[in-house]
Amino acid sequence: MMLIPCPFCGKRNESEFIFGGAVGADRPDPNSVNDAEWVEYLTVAPNPLGPVQERWWHARGCSEWVTIWRDTRTHDIVEAPDDSE
Amino acid sequence: MTYDVAIVRQPLNALFDLKGSPAAIQNWAADVLPTLPERPNSRTGQASVELYHVGRNHWIARAPLEQEAELEKHLSPTNCPAEISIVRVSDTLTFFRVVGPQADEVMSIACPLDIHETEFGEETVTYTELFGLKALIMRCEDGFEFAVEQSFGDMAEDYLSRAVA
Ligand SMILES: [Zn+2]
Repeated sequence: MMLIPCPFCGKRNESEFIFGGAVGADRPDPNSVNDAEWVEYLTVAPNPLGPVQERWWHARGCSEWVTIWRDTRTHDIVEAPDDSE
Repeated sequence: MTYDVAIVRQPLNALFDLKGSPAAIQNWAADVLPTLPERPNSRTGQASVELYHVGRNHWIARAPLEQEAELEKHLSPTNCPAEISIVRVSDTLTFFRVVGPQADEVMSIACPLDIHETEFGEETVTYTELFGLKALIMRCEDGFEFAVEQSFGDMAEDYLSRAVA
């Protein structure tokens, strides 16, 4: 079980949230990238061994969207890595 | 295991969903509403009107059904400023009370929140889940009160009665 920190409600059980996916790259201008880069943007989701940035929706709560870093090895919610943007 | 509780379905309430900045809502509706609760997931009350702070810039006002028309007249949802939203939602929620010596044990079966007095006090009101359904919960005299979407009312009652049987 994860306790996800909601900025409005505080730590809440993960079952109150809906997973919103990993945070990927910003949408590139389709005219300035080649086909391979565009396909990469559309279809490849971040899937690291270690910290991944994710969005969660507090759907059965205050309805806020939350962004967290989760370590895929331990399932712990962690600080943003030093080299993250 | 059987539990010493009573599950009591409540009559309809007058309910209004309010969204917007605290200042804008206070400006528009200060004369009919209690002071806005500032702390997240808390409530205030004045006379028979209660106000629940259930999300960022989001409140629910609650009063006995007899006051619905009067409240609606004063809140005037159709004429309110564009930066706030007021919607009458009286028909959308069904309230239950779970009361008695073991009310906290029964609520703990249904709900993942820590409802100990130290974490969940008199003034706490929050959305959480109850048997997986989105529910608004708070304390009431001798137990807890919760609301689920109106169409889930019978289902929530059925779940609860099975949990306590
Ligand atoms: Zn929340």
